[in-house]
Amino acid sequence: MKLRTKLTLFNTISKLVIVVLFVSLLPVLIKNINTNYTDTRLRKQRDEVLQTVKNVGIKYYIEDGKSYAGYTPIKDVYVSLDEDTTDENLDNIKNEARKVEADTIQYRILSHDFKADNKKYLLEIGISLDTVNERTAPLQSIAFVVLIVMVIMTIIADQVYSDYILRPLALIIKTKLVGQKFPNFGPYKEVKTSTDDFQRLDISIHEMIQTIESTFQKEREFISNASHELMTPISIMQSKIENLFEQEDIADELKVRMLEMQRILNRLKSITKTLLLISQIENYQFLKEDNIRISSLLGEVYDEISIRLQDKNINLKLDIRNDFELVRVNKYLLFNLFFNLINNSIKYNRENGEITVEVLVENNKFVVKVIDTGIGISPEDLPIIFNRFKKLKQSLQQDSFGLGLPIVKSIADFHSIKIDVESQKNVGSTFKLTFLSASVKV
Amino acid sequence: MNVLIIEDEKALAKELEIFLTNYNYMCEVCYDGTTASERVAVNLYDFILIDLGLPDYEGLDLLKEAKASNPEAAYIILTARAEIYDRIKGLDMGADDYLAKPFSLLELQSRMQAITRRKFGLKNNIVELGDFHVNLTDRVITYNEAEISTITKKEFDLIAYLILHKNRTVTRNQLSEHIWGSIINDDYDSNYIDAHIKNIRKKLNAFAPPDWLETVRGLGYKIKINA
Repeated sequence: MKLRTKLTLFNTISKLVIVVLFVSLLPVLIKNINTNYTDTRLRKQRDEVLQTVKNVGIKYYIEDGKSYAGYTPIKDVYVSLDEDTTDENLDNIKNEARKVEADTIQYRILSHDFKADNKKYLLEIGISLDTVNERTAPLQSIAFVVLIVMVIMTIIADQVYSDYILRPLALIIKTKLVGQKFPNFGPYKEVKTSTDDFQRLDISIHEMIQTIESTFQKEREFISNASHELMTPISIMQSKIENLFEQEDIADELKVRMLEMQRILNRLKSITKTLLLISQIENYQFLKEDNIRISSLLGEVYDEISIRLQDKNINLKLDIRNDFELVRVNKYLLFNLFFNLINNSIKYNRENGEITVEVLVENNKFVVKVIDTGIGISPEDLPIIFNRFKKLKQSLQQDSFGLGLPIVKSIADFHSIKIDVESQKNVGSTFKLTFLSASVKV
Repeated sequence: MNVLIIEDEKALAKELEIFLTNYNYMCEVCYDGTTASERVAVNLYDFILIDLGLPDYEGLDLLKEAKASNPEAAYIILTARAEIYDRIKGLDMGADDYLAKPFSLLELQSRMQAITRRKFGLKNNIVELGDFHVNLTDRVITYNEAEISTITKKEFDLIAYLILHKNRTVTRNQLSEHIWGSIINDDYDSNYIDAHIKNIRKKLNAFAPPDWLETVRGLGYKIKINA
């Protein structure tokens, strides 16, 4: 999961938790606030009544000496004064029902006993609970809306800020890592950031890339120079041996030994030429300006390679289901690619084996498959078959030096051809080449 | 025929001289560009073999210079610099052929012969081998006037190469270099030449035994022509 997605997810979830918590607490909270507020009002009323009684006397309320009761028209508030004959000394607030005229209404009632004119009176002040609750609902919804708005605003703010602060990281990943074709990186472009960590990351990646690039460059230069330099001495040796063959006074058994020398020199030449070819491909010293139909290219390879099928009596079948034209390619290199690939399939095939070369369209991509009935490649060897000079244990044949598949790989990379290998021990291998649609014309 | 060899590797130049002299060419050798430049200004040559990687002279400049004073000569570029751009540039500037080092001396000679044939327009290039006739221009083998169509391109190449170096043993290595020289692969010990020869013999035997195609035990093959 991406860092940004993780942050967003955490952000949203934490906010959601807060919302849920708050919403579940909200009714209780509001109710508490409301009750407190109501109670304060009740006490204030009580104090007012007591003050009036003190100032004016109880007669202000009670004239007949018995009781007083008063309502507002909608009965949301009532006040009553009665003589209290009990011994209790009440002073509390609770919810109780009162029958007022025909209705029974739930009230929050303050009861208070006090003395005036040597008599004990009970004062009751009630506020209808409906009135209290009427206030609760709008309060709740306002609080809810404000909360949601605030949460959304913080989520957006968090998102924008984390986007902003992570942008250099995204840029580093996008320009330095993704889409870079190893080991050919583009020129260094500094990623602007005020975050030290990202700056350090950017610089470290750049330094590592530089080290890799220069090591690769040195290796390529070395291979190129070494193989070039070797060509001249090989050339001289080859000419000397050939001239010796022309000498008439050399005995036949000596000539056989000279042939041996020639063979070994050929081996040296072959290795050097192959290394030179690979280094030239890697240094982009080949042009891509040929167009050729895959059928005719494979036909040419077939003509060259058919002699090699005789030894093991292998049957090579070209199965061209969808012919296509390769455009802007290097024909010489592609010829060598298919030659080496099929040659490989011959070398590791069994007596009376089969090789099928299929040309087809698969998932809208142009594909060539080379399928053999050979000895197969074990899963642990699969990742290393394209390594140079890597000869697999099972295939210690004397007449090759392990550069066949590396040639294939270099040429395929040069043309952006994707190679997939599937293999089963003692059953066979399938090399699947997938061509870039840009280099194919139907 | 006069050949000028321009090659700064003395040991190689010497081998080229020995080989070509053996094939009856008159050879002169220059080890540097300055001497070569003087030589081409004074003398006329039929062949100029030129190494592009001279230490004192830009190879392509020398080629241009030589072409000006020896326009009739055939030019073969020898180079260890296998860069294709040089190859294209060289051929554009009028070189007749190109050989990348290391090359086989037999290959050099066959290229020179091909140029000679082209230059002198040798049309009727038919070699008699017993009752077989090999037409090197049209690239066909006939037996009693009937064309043998089963011979493949590769097989004809082999026969033609052996005819070119007639009465000499051509080793398996030299033959495979000629036939597969441009293919880069990681086999160096192939016996496919033997398979080719076997096929050729089988195909020709259907008409008459090709006694002229000899196996030189342990070495290679030879076509015998009694001229």
